[in-house]
Amino acid sequence: MITFERVSKRFPDGTVAVASLDLEIPTGRTTVFVGPSGCGKTTSLRMINRMVDPTDGVISIDGADVRGKDPAELRRTIGYVIQQAGLFPHRTIIDNIATVPFLLGWSKAKAHARARELMELVGLLPEQARRYPHQLSGGQQQRVGVARALAADPPVLLMDEPFSAVDPVVRASLQEELLRLQAELHKTIVFVTHDIEEAVKLGDSVAVFRPGGHLAQVDHPERLLAVPADDFVEGFIGYDRGVRRLSFFRADALPLRSDIVLGEEDTVARARETVRAHGEPWVLVVHADRTPKGWLGEPALTAAEPDALLGSLATDPYGHVFRVAEDSLRSALDASVLSPAGRAVGVDAQGQVVGVVAQSELGSAIWSVGGEESDPAERGAVGSDG
Amino acid sequence: MGDQPLIDVDWILTNLGDPIGTSLLEHIKLSFLPILFGLLLALPLGVLSARWKPLYPPVLAGVNILYAIPSIALFFLVLPYTSFSMWTAVIPLTLYTLAILVPNVVDGLGQVPDHVRQAATAMGFGPMRRLLQVDLPVAVPFVIAGLRIASVATISMVSVASLVGLGGLGQLILTEGFRNYKFLTPILVGIVLSVALAFLVDGLLVLLQRWLTPWTRDDSRKAARAAAPAPEGDPA
Repeated sequence: MITFERVSKRFPDGTVAVASLDLEIPTGRTTVFVGPSGCGKTTSLRMINRMVDPTDGVISIDGADVRGKDPAELRRTIGYVIQQAGLFPHRTIIDNIATVPFLLGWSKAKAHARARELMELVGLLPEQARRYPHQLSGGQQQRVGVARALAADPPVLLMDEPFSAVDPVVRASLQEELLRLQAELHKTIVFVTHDIEEAVKLGDSVAVFRPGGHLAQVDHPERLLAVPADDFVEGFIGYDRGVRRLSFFRADALPLRSDIVLGEEDTVARARETVRAHGEPWVLVVHADRTPKGWLGEPALTAAEPDALLGSLATDPYGHVFRVAEDSLRSALDASVLSPAGRAVGVDAQGQVVGVVAQSELGSAIWSVGGEESDPAERGAVGSDG
Repeated sequence: MGDQPLIDVDWILTNLGDPIGTSLLEHIKLSFLPILFGLLLALPLGVLSARWKPLYPPVLAGVNILYAIPSIALFFLVLPYTSFSMWTAVIPLTLYTLAILVPNVVDGLGQVPDHVRQAATAMGFGPMRRLLQVDLPVAVPFVIAGLRIASVATISMVSVASLVGLGGLGQLILTEGFRNYKFLTPILVGIVLSVALAFLVDGLLVLLQRWLTPWTRDDSRKAARAAAPAPEGDPA
């Protein structure tokens, strides 16, 4: 556990970067510092590895004051990832990754073996080992940066806006990668960002800083979205926090109906009967392997011959689907909003239709998690929203 | 002069060892030592100036003022202390190289991007280790660019040292060419050897840089496209 006790940082010019910060960062979890620029989040991060020393207060790692150690030695036990990666331009990828092992006096063979292991872990190809950093793309460089920080297997990892210099697509994949790595490694990660989306996506807990170096709120990201502590936090989170919060609730509790799902071999007469019986204006047509084909609306059914097979009719596109077992309520809501039928199609891991859900039913499900006393423990299992 | 051939091959052959060979060796010695001493002085001066910024303007002003002193004057200025030893040439020429080398060392040390420097510190590099393992290696292309200019300038300036009787190819041009025979062959031989020496040293420095800085070589075509244009121009 990393503990901040009444930590303040006043710079010589009089600006207060951090004002009496009290914070506990749990071991093995990801804590995100987020806030606008000038809120002291980066300064707070850098006080952990003594890149900055506080003017007041104590920072300790597992009970030991960080100022009790030689800064250089302390830093070799704390991984650090910086924006733009900070790779050494004159060293090969493998030597960059082996930096801290070399500093710790490992043999070259051992350091390189470890570096190769990490290259594989972060998704780099073995043939990139002898390249130089400028020969890699920004996203690949940042993977090297993460590998380098992990090289000596430090229990603590500090990440200072590591993904903000890469394009959004690459950033999303690096975020996924970090979630995957963390599920495997369980490091104590402190992650600084100004992007609340990133904070909510990556953090087990999120600490929101306000300008002037004050902590505005520390909470589980779902709680943060549900119950912002004040107007500043609410404003910082943005207007659609209600919808974003749905990312934390799984779609598998939704009441899916399969009675309006019909096969290509069914007839128009059967479909009309289904529409009448259930009072539903749409039916979903599926292929023989139960993957979705498209929607048929009541007017199209009325216009068609009663003996015609559904497979022979033109259907409306089904839009995108949600995976019932993995996706969140947010994905299901999104799928229903984009569907021409106003209904979201839920599929299993093989892409076969499990059932469909209408916006009105989604509404009830959303309403049921709308209370502030929802169970954030559900979060862990929810993947990203596609 | 008029009835003499432009190149007197017989003269070259009979004088190949002395004075041509000895002048050339003398010239190499008189230019190599100032470059070496210049580098040895410029590195600490540059490192201090890069680390402690207020030092740089006075250092820069100092080396530029030295550079502005005419070489002949400087040779005569040190003459009373060094008499007719090689130091009379080596000391002034060393001082001249500083005006080229110090700014290049400082610029080279400034090439390490801020994020790289911070990452080095954050991983547990102390100041000295960072200087030796990060800042200086990254500065090498700049330092060598400075050495290339300084060596060409020094090789050409050594010739002037013969005016105070210090040898080198200048001596060949001055003594053999003008005073003794007043014919062109020694003058041309002196010029050709001096220029050839400058080219050779420049080439060797380019090879040295390629050997020392494999990361600046764009073996992969991809890198050539991705990388920004090389920061330093090609000093002529």
